[in-house]
Amino acid sequence: MDKPKVAVLSGFGINCETETITAFEMAGAMAKKTHVNRLVNGDLELSEFDIVAVPGGFSFGDHLGSGRLLGNRLRFSLREEVRAFVASKKPVIGICNGFQVLVKMGLLPGDEDLSMCQTASLAANDCGRYEDRWVTLEFDRNSPCIWTRGIERLRVPVRHGEGKFVTNDQNLMDKWAKKGQLVARYVDPDSKYPSSSDEILPFPISPNQSWRNVAGVCDPTGLVFGLMPHPEAYHSTWLSPDWTRETSLKHGPSPAMAIFRNAVDHSRRN
Amino acid sequence: MGVQHSIACMAHDNPRILRVDVLPIPGSGLVDSRANALINSLPKPLAGQIAATRTSLGYTIKGDFTEEEATHAATNLFSDPIIETFTIDGSIGAGQLPDGDYSDLTVQVGFKPGVTDNRAMAAEDGLGTIFPNKSNKVASTISYHFWLHNDHLELDELVNQLHNPMLEEYSILDGQNRIPNLIRFPNLKQQNYVEPKIVNLNVGDRELERISEDGLLALNLVEMKAIQGYFKQQDTQEIRSQYDLPADSPTDVELECLAQTWSEHCSHKIFSAKIQHTDNEDGTTSTIDSLFKTHIVAPTIAISKEVDWLLSVFHDNSGVIAWTDEWSLCMKAETHNSPSALDPFGGAMTGIVGVNRDILGTGLGAKPIANTDVFCFGPPDYSGTLPKGLFHPSRIFSGVHSGVRAGGNESGIPTVNGSIVFDDRYIGKPLVYCGTVGLMPRYLPDGRESHVKTPKPGDLIYMVGGRVGSDGIHGATFSSLELTEDSPSSAVQIGDPITQKKMLDMILEARDAGLIQVITDNGAGGLSSSVGEMAELTGGATIDLGVVPLKQLGLKSWEILVSESQERMTVGIRGEDSDEFERLARLHEVEATAIGTFSDTGFFQVNHNEKCVGLIPIAFLHEGCPQMQLESEWNPPTNPDVVLPIPTLGSLSGALEKILTRPNIASKEWWVRSYDHEVIAQTVIKPFVGLNHDAPGDAAVIAPLPGSTTGAVISNGIVPRYSDIDAYSMTAAAIDEAVRNAVCVGVDLSMIAGLDNFCWPDPIESEKTPDGKQKLAQLVRSNQALDDVCRAYTLPCISGKDSMKNDAVIDGQKISVPPTLLFSLIGRHKDITKAVTSDFKDYDDHIYLLGLTKQEIGASELAFMLRDSDNSSGIGTSVPILDPERNIALYRALTNAMEDNMVRSAHDCSDGGLSVSLAESCFGFSGGANIDVSEILLSDDELDEWGALFGESLGRIIVSVSPENATEFEKKMEGHAVYKLGKTTSSGKVMISAHGKTILKCDVDSLKAAWKGTLDRGA
Repeated sequence: MDKPKVAVLSGFGINCETETITAFEMAGAMAKKTHVNRLVNGDLELSEFDIVAVPGGFSFGDHLGSGRLLGNRLRFSLREEVRAFVASKKPVIGICNGFQVLVKMGLLPGDEDLSMCQTASLAANDCGRYEDRWVTLEFDRNSPCIWTRGIERLRVPVRHGEGKFVTNDQNLMDKWAKKGQLVARYVDPDSKYPSSSDEILPFPISPNQSWRNVAGVCDPTGLVFGLMPHPEAYHSTWLSPDWTRETSLKHGPSPAMAIFRNAVDHSRRN
Repeated sequence: MGVQHSIACMAHDNPRILRVDVLPIPGSGLVDSRANALINSLPKPLAGQIAATRTSLGYTIKGDFTEEEATHAATNLFSDPIIETFTIDGSIGAGQLPDGDYSDLTVQVGFKPGVTDNRAMAAEDGLGTIFPNKSNKVASTISYHFWLHNDHLELDELVNQLHNPMLEEYSILDGQNRIPNLIRFPNLKQQNYVEPKIVNLNVGDRELERISEDGLLALNLVEMKAIQGYFKQQDTQEIRSQYDLPADSPTDVELECLAQTWSEHCSHKIFSAKIQHTDNEDGTTSTIDSLFKTHIVAPTIAISKEVDWLLSVFHDNSGVIAWTDEWSLCMKAETHNSPSALDPFGGAMTGIVGVNRDILGTGLGAKPIANTDVFCFGPPDYSGTLPKGLFHPSRIFSGVHSGVRAGGNESGIPTVNGSIVFDDRYIGKPLVYCGTVGLMPRYLPDGRESHVKTPKPGDLIYMVGGRVGSDGIHGATFSSLELTEDSPSSAVQIGDPITQKKMLDMILEARDAGLIQVITDNGAGGLSSSVGEMAELTGGATIDLGVVPLKQLGLKSWEILVSESQERMTVGIRGEDSDEFERLARLHEVEATAIGTFSDTGFFQVNHNEKCVGLIPIAFLHEGCPQMQLESEWNPPTNPDVVLPIPTLGSLSGALEKILTRPNIASKEWWVRSYDHEVIAQTVIKPFVGLNHDAPGDAAVIAPLPGSTTGAVISNGIVPRYSDIDAYSMTAAAIDEAVRNAVCVGVDLSMIAGLDNFCWPDPIESEKTPDGKQKLAQLVRSNQALDDVCRAYTLPCISGKDSMKNDAVIDGQKISVPPTLLFSLIGRHKDITKAVTSDFKDYDDHIYLLGLTKQEIGASELAFMLRDSDNSSGIGTSVPILDPERNIALYRALTNAMEDNMVRSAHDCSDGGLSVSLAESCFGFSGGANIDVSEILLSDDELDEWGALFGESLGRIIVSVSPENATEFEKKMEGHAVYKLGKTTSSGKVMISAHGKTILKCDVDSLKAAWKGTLDRGA
């Protein structure tokens, strides 16, 4: 395969589709803006694509909980198509609102049976408000996640009001941790790799007081991945918040592009 | 007490009403952050009486749902199974928690009928997904459950904090009173359609004035007589008879249409007026035939002969410039002052989503890519008495901020730049400026230039997006009047960003498919304005109000025509494209309805079903309004001098520490962080910069084309303080500030364009405004400055706006805003990888001050600070004087040096002067600065330490340059005012010396803490 085809979902208040398309195209894919209704009405088939991305945004204004309504649209109107796509071992990513959608659909953290039952949630940030600020993420090197392979740390922006990863069953947290599903965590940038901890880090190192500092999770296969921060917002070096302070910066694609290249390479190989 | 209705009464209008209440599950590592945020926002004494708070969200659902279906919906839609719990018709709504504990007090708040309820609309959509074949109607409520320390609670004050009586109702549950459905379902009253009324204008002058006043038409006698005169003409009467219209009198539809089109808001009558201007300072008199044509259009036309990038100026919804060969940029700034005074959240939100539509309605449709917002409020810590009917400035501040945050973030448009100004006189009316930048391809795939509208007679007129309701009637005429206790609540609306986002996605697809011939937004004046304006392009239009989709039945014809219900565009489509256009609308779940056709009959014809209810000649509609004749008289004000303390190490250092805490200068980071400033992944220079991303940026730089380093710069300038001495200086300073900020990041000065946005107190002399001539003279002087400075800077204005009635009369007390100009700038950046930020980069870099410093402390932040603590000190008279020719030469030299990578940091010297700017540049790195200002003091005989450190002379920038580039930099800047002051240090101190003595010494960390503390509301 030359260029993997990426369905970048759009519509209903999704608003990061432009930069998500840019990131995938810079990584060597062919990305197509895909209105959810084009999949529902049969204009397009999910199975035509190699990768699916649910971008960030404010689908349906987040009014009944972030990601709830778009999650329901996918869960009730495209259930079998979504299951078949995931079952066929093709990569899926949800970013910010897209992550919230995947969690509320039950695809993340998910289970082996693809039962699509919600087991975790993203609650309101402890600070009680939406914030846009840059954080540092650390990735679990033992995770099966194909998206984060070979990446130790990344600086990326968070832009959300509801990003506190929680569940109602502590045993599940242990299970996910053991399987490497708690793949992305907020970390103190001044610490040495690896140093992610279960102790909740202070604000703003952890912008939302997520349990165990979780910023992103994958499903048991490592193919479905979601995270609150926005790697696509940092596709080029000049989008970092302090690049003017660097003296010998070579401008071009940023370190965050590794996430998108990982998935594109995976699709090319499989 | 709230409105109390029993359940039985509610059940009467529908057999099946369900109520779902959703509560965050307490404990286990979860917090009710909504409750915490509420307590954080309450005034301290009130919050202190509350021991604990919980919140729950309620949904009242009308529809034929079984118990089982309701549980299904509550589980899968209304609540989150992991973090929330719910009851159906149960205890949570009554203030009883799952563990059985009752609140001491529960306050339930819901919307009044007809108010946009976004959460309910989302719920209706969500129910449609789960039960596609069932119709439903939802209303949302929020319940605040309180546990109190004692029973001394100020209940009225608490309730006032929890709701806005203009839009919301509340009920109280306490003691035994635990009926959860106290808030009635917001049913709109059933209305029956009433035929248009005929308004008899064959009456005397006083009666004409009464008709205007009673009908909120905001037309003066001369204008009413012009309308009267039109209907007396014989040919008018002949044509009207053919259409079965009353021959010699307008219908209410026609009168309303004329009032909207001729409103100050829509037709800018004061800027078009003929003004007899007397200047008592130099003893001259002059006549100005339209300030707009004389001082705003004329310079732009003159500049258009020098530059080749002006594509569309003044006539469209925003001004358009040719940014690259393939792409153009457009920009527009609007104000939403009156609505924001009445409902800060809704008013500000409709302000931002409204100006987004101006961009979408430019040319054949542009994509909004960046927002800016500038607010003027009363002081957040205001402790004086407030006239009845006004919100406290801090509540306006947080409401406006929330509205702009929700509107911008939910629309996916980054808020990249802004400013907040505080002054006592904004207590009466806050100023809420919302600006948006748009991007569009220069040419569409079908070859048409996208900034040119191409309608033809016969094209269909579509209304797209939201429906028409009674909300938003009379916004245009209302904003042309002063604010009073009787201001109509119908003029206030809450925006619906998601409906608008769906429409925006759809319109841009339609544009690229070549379907759009003409487009404009429905803002002030509604369909009357949007269709009326576009009809000018073809020479006529006919619409049928009977097919316009309505939120509620029974609206009168005139109401449908002028309603300003949000989220609507009016679009012209060729007949053969209508199927494709409607298919796109269905795909995006956007309502699009053909409501008429463009024509070349010369008339704007309004039908309601088969009946013609209005027929107005296009020419009379747009050119019939008589020119106002006004008088202005300039008398320079006298202000007591500034009483300056003796300049010592202690007084100067103390002044810096203190001035940094003043709200005008203090960090706004806490507020700005909650705007999404980097969605679309293009924001190269963000609002906050430096090592820890918390030092102030000067201007936004964006790179909107993926992979391309061609950028755009967006900046703002606003200095209303200076109007207290001279509005000419105020205006010159605002423009220079916008330019200077843009220069600091490295703008390409060969492509900068401006937007003028005037917010003035009523400048027409009358019984209510005895000082109207002076206020108009200030407007004249402001325009003269705009003319002079824009020409000198080769800075054409491409769009603008004015809001001329920023007065509030409450309790018989009149509060007028200071004359205020916001100047917004958009410019090109040739290579964004060479952009410069304000933060010092390294130790031992050289620090330079560029530009001349004079003893200019009149109306400075320092002057106001001294006056606030010492009544005998005035604001003085030495307001900064601009020398634009000298400045632009220096700015050009500096941007050239930036292109050669010579400059490591650049920061604008403005509010608070050199010492504040120096401190702010230190905030962005881990060190300090050590400078000597002797050379500056020697450069001007009158200058003293106060003037050197805190004076606000214009045209000044602090830059840092690495030692290896210093010589080369100085060579490049030869011939300009350049002062080498000292170096950056690793000491963590700001040290300023003069003539061998240390005159200021402060610790950077404590300065920064002071600067960040004032407006920080904590995590």
